[in-house]
Amino acid sequence: MRTETGFDHSLYDRFPTSDPRPEGELEELERIWCAPKGWQLLTAVNNNYIGIFYVGAAFLFFLLAGILALVMRVQLALPLQGILPQETYNQFFTMHGTVMMFLFAVPMVEAIGVLLLPQMLAARDLPFPRLSAYAFWAYFVGGLCFFASLFFGLAPDGGWFMYPPYTSLTYSPGINADFWLLGIGFIEISAIAGAIEIIVGVLRTRAPGMTLDKMPVYAWAMLVLGVMIIIAFPSVILGTLLLELERAFNWPFFDPTRGGDALLWQHLFWFFGHPEVYIIFLPASGLVSMMVAAMARTPLVGHNLIVLAFLATGFISFGVWAHHMFTTGLPNLSIGFFSAASMAVSVPAGIQIFSWIATFAVGRPRFNAPTLFLLGGMVTFVVGGLTGVMVAMVPFDWQAHDSYFIVAHLHYVLLGGMVFPMFAAFYYWTPMTSRHPLSERLGKWAFWLMFAGMQVTFWPMHLTGLMGMPRRVYTYLPGREWEVTNMISSVGAFMLAAGVLLFLIDVARSFRFTTDHDAGNIYDGGTLEWLPTGLYSARSIPVVKSREPLWEDPGLAEDVKAGRYLLPGSATGLRETIVTSPLLAEPQYLQIIPGPSVWPFLAAIFTAGFFILLTIQAYTPSFTCGVLAVVCVLRWLWDTDRRVKEVTVDAGAGVRLPTYVTGPSTHGWWAMIILLIVVGMIFVMALFSFFYLFGVQSQFWQAPAPAGHLAIILPAYLAAAGLALLSRRMLAREKTEHWTPGVLYLCAAAALAAGVGADMWSWIGSGLVPEASGQGATVYALLSLEVLLVGVGVLMACYLCARNSRGMIVRPRNNSLDLCVLWVVYAAAQGSMTGVLTRLVGA
Amino acid sequence: MRTWALLLAGLVIWTVHFFALYIVGSIWLTTPLARALTLALTLLCTGAIAMFLVRARRYLPETAMDRWVRSISLVGLGVSAVAILWQGLPALLI
Repeated sequence: MRTETGFDHSLYDRFPTSDPRPEGELEELERIWCAPKGWQLLTAVNNNYIGIFYVGAAFLFFLLAGILALVMRVQLALPLQGILPQETYNQFFTMHGTVMMFLFAVPMVEAIGVLLLPQMLAARDLPFPRLSAYAFWAYFVGGLCFFASLFFGLAPDGGWFMYPPYTSLTYSPGINADFWLLGIGFIEISAIAGAIEIIVGVLRTRAPGMTLDKMPVYAWAMLVLGVMIIIAFPSVILGTLLLELERAFNWPFFDPTRGGDALLWQHLFWFFGHPEVYIIFLPASGLVSMMVAAMARTPLVGHNLIVLAFLATGFISFGVWAHHMFTTGLPNLSIGFFSAASMAVSVPAGIQIFSWIATFAVGRPRFNAPTLFLLGGMVTFVVGGLTGVMVAMVPFDWQAHDSYFIVAHLHYVLLGGMVFPMFAAFYYWTPMTSRHPLSERLGKWAFWLMFAGMQVTFWPMHLTGLMGMPRRVYTYLPGREWEVTNMISSVGAFMLAAGVLLFLIDVARSFRFTTDHDAGNIYDGGTLEWLPTGLYSARSIPVVKSREPLWEDPGLAEDVKAGRYLLPGSATGLRETIVTSPLLAEPQYLQIIPGPSVWPFLAAIFTAGFFILLTIQAYTPSFTCGVLAVVCVLRWLWDTDRRVKEVTVDAGAGVRLPTYVTGPSTHGWWAMIILLIVVGMIFVMALFSFFYLFGVQSQFWQAPAPAGHLAIILPAYLAAAGLALLSRRMLAREKTEHWTPGVLYLCAAAALAAGVGADMWSWIGSGLVPEASGQGATVYALLSLEVLLVGVGVLMACYLCARNSRGMIVRPRNNSLDLCVLWVVYAAAQGSMTGVLTRLVGA
Repeated sequence: MRTWALLLAGLVIWTVHFFALYIVGSIWLTTPLARALTLALTLLCTGAIAMFLVRARRYLPETAMDRWVRSISLVGLGVSAVAILWQGLPALLI
C-alpha cells in the first residue's frame, strides 16, 4: 500500500477494537467538551453552537432583505405609486441586493459548512474554532449595524455593485456609500476567515482513511468554495479600499479626468462578483448531491464527474467576469473570448443536473419535503441557466442589459441554485441538530407556496424586461403595458413570502436545538454526519473505507458510539482532534483545540466598532476600538501554541501520535500560506490596477522614481528576509543568548521598515503625489499595502519578544516563530516587487 | 504536489490559455496580430494538454486512489482540450 507520510496502513486493521473502554472515559470527554452556560454562551466556540448561530443570523438577514423586496414589489405593483420616495427606493434596492449577497448567501453557505463539515469528516471540530467564533460575531454585529443604517436614511444607494462615478464623492457626497465600502469590506474579512477554516478543515482534519476519492462530494464543493473565496474576495477588498481612498483622500483611481478609469472598478468588482455566484451555487450543489443520493436511496450517479464539474466551475468562473461589461465598449475579440467562456461554464452545471436526474432515475426516490425542494430548485435553476446562456450571447445581452430580464435571470439562478437547496437542506439536516424533525405536511405546503410564488414573481419579469422596463426605477408611467406583469410579480412575491412564513411557523413548532438527543438519521443518509454525536462530534473517529460508510457497514454507528475507533476519549485531558494528511488522510498528529474564550467575541465587537465608527467619522473612538481589537486578538493568540506534557499519545489501539509538530505539515502553517495567498491576490489585483491605468491613461503618467534607489531598497528587503530566516535557524541552537530569535526578528522587521521607507522617500522625491493622477494613486496604494504588511510585521516582532521573554518560544522549533518568519519573508518579496515593478513604466 | 498537478493539469492549462488570450485581446485589440497570437497560444496549450495526456496514460495506478486520480486527470485534460479550442474560436469568427 502506497503511503503519503510513512504511516503503516495495516494499523487500520486494529479497528474496531474489542476491548471494553475504561470507566469514566466518556464522561471525561463530555466534561472537556461541555458548552458554557448562560451569558457565557457568548464565549462558545464549538462548531455546533457557532454553526447554528451562523445559520440563524444568515437566515435573519434573508428575512430582512426579503421584507425590503416585498415593500419594493408593493411600490411597483401599480404605476406612479407613492409608497417609497425615489431616494428611499434606491436605498431599498441597494440594501436588498447587498444584504442578500453579502449578509445572507455567502455567510449561509459558510455557516452550513461550519455546522456540517466536522461531523461529515468525523473531526472533533474545525481546526480554528476561535477564528470561526470571531468571524461569526464580527459578521453578525457588523451586519446588524450595517442594516440599521437604513433606519437613519444613511444606507448606501448606488446599487449592490456600487459603480463609480455614481458612488464617487461628486455624486454621492454623504456617508451612504461609505457604509457600503467599510461595512462590506470587513464582512469580507469574515468570509475569508471562514474560507481558511474550511480549506484547512477539509484537507487536514478528515477521518483516517478518507482519501480524496472517498471524500463526500459536499466536502469537495466546500473545498472549491474556499479556494474560490481566497482568490475572488481580495479583488473586491482592494476595490472597496481604492474607492474609499478616492472618496476620503481624493486619490483618482476611477476619475478619468486625472488618469483614472471608472471601468477599473467594474473589472475589480466583477472579478469577484461573478465567481461569487458560483461561490453561492457550488456549496448548494454539494448539498443537493448529498441529499439526492440519500433521497433516491442509491449512490450518486457520476460522482467523479461531479467532482470534476466542481473543479471546472471553480476555474472557468474566473474567466467570465467581463460578461457583465459587454455594453462598456470592450474590444470585440475580448468580448468574443468572454462570450465563449460564459457559454462554456454552463457545461459543468449541466453535468451536475444530468447526474442528479440520473440518480433519481436509477434510485427509489421518496417524494417528501426535501425531495420537493430539490426538484423545484433543479427546475428553477435550469430556467435560470438557459436564460444565462441567452445573455452570454452578446447581441442579446445588448438588448437585455440592465432590464428586468436580467432581474428575472439572476433570481432564477440564485433561488434555484441556492435558496431551494437551502430549504431542502433545512428539512434534511434538521434531525441532526434538533429533537424533532420539521413537519412533512407543513414542509410540502411551504414548498408549493414558495415554488409557485417564485414562478409567478419572476417569470413575468422576463416579459417586463423584454418590453423595455429598466431595473432600478422606483416607478413607471401608465400606458406602457408594464402594469399587468408588474402586478402579477407583486402578487407572486407575497405567495413566496407566505411560503417562507409557513416555514418559520414550522421551525417555531418543531425545531428544538440539541447536540446529543437529536431525532437521528430518519432519511437513512450514508455519510458520517449521521453518526451518533455530542459536542465532541463522534465519540470515536472511524477509519473510513468507502464514500457512504454507514451504508457499507451498518454496525459502524454502534462501534463508533462504543469508542471502538480512534481517539475514544481525551488523550491529553484537553480538546483535541486528529490532523491527517491531505491526500490519503493518514493520521499525522494530535491537534490541541482551544476551548471557549471571551477574546474572539471581544475582538469581533471591537473590529465591528472600528469599521462602523470609522464610517460615521468618529475617528477617536474608532481608532480606540481598532487598538482594542488588536489587543484582544493578541490575547486570544497568547493561549495558543503551547506544548502539553505528553510528547506522544496513544490515539487508540496502540496508534501513537505526536502532540506538537512544526513546519509545513502543521495546520497553522497551512492557514498562514492561505492567508498569504489572500494578501498576494490583493497585491496582484493592485498591480493589475497599476498596469491597467497605464494602458488606458498613459498620457497622465510621469517619469517613475529613479531606479538607482533600488540599490538601497532591495538590500533592505533582502536583509529582512535573511534575518527572519536566521532567527528560525538560531532557535535550534541551544546556547544562543545574545542574538535571540526575538532580537533577530525585531531587526528583520526594522529592515522591512527601512525598505518601505526608502521606497516611499524615493517616490516623494520624484515629485509624484497621490492626488495628481492614476499613476500617483496606484503607486501610493501599492506602497500603503506594503506599509500595512510592515506594520503587522512589527506587531509580530513585539509579540514574539513578549513570548520569548516568558520562555514560550520553545526550542528547537516553534510554530509562532515559523509563521511570523513566513510573514516577513513574504512582505520582503512583495516590497521588492513593488519597488521594481512601479519603476518599470512611466513617461 | 505531483498528485495535485496531475489532477488539475488540464484546468490549469485552460486558465493560462484564457488569461493569455485576455491579455492579447486587451493589448492588441481586434487585429490580425491578436488573431495570430491567439492561434499560436491555442496550439501551444493544446500541445501541453497532449503532453500531459501522454503522461497521465503512462501513469500506472497502484491503488484505488491512484486510479481515481488518473481518471479525473484524463477526463479533465480531455474537457480542457475541447474548452481551449472553443475558447480560441472567436479569433476565427470575429
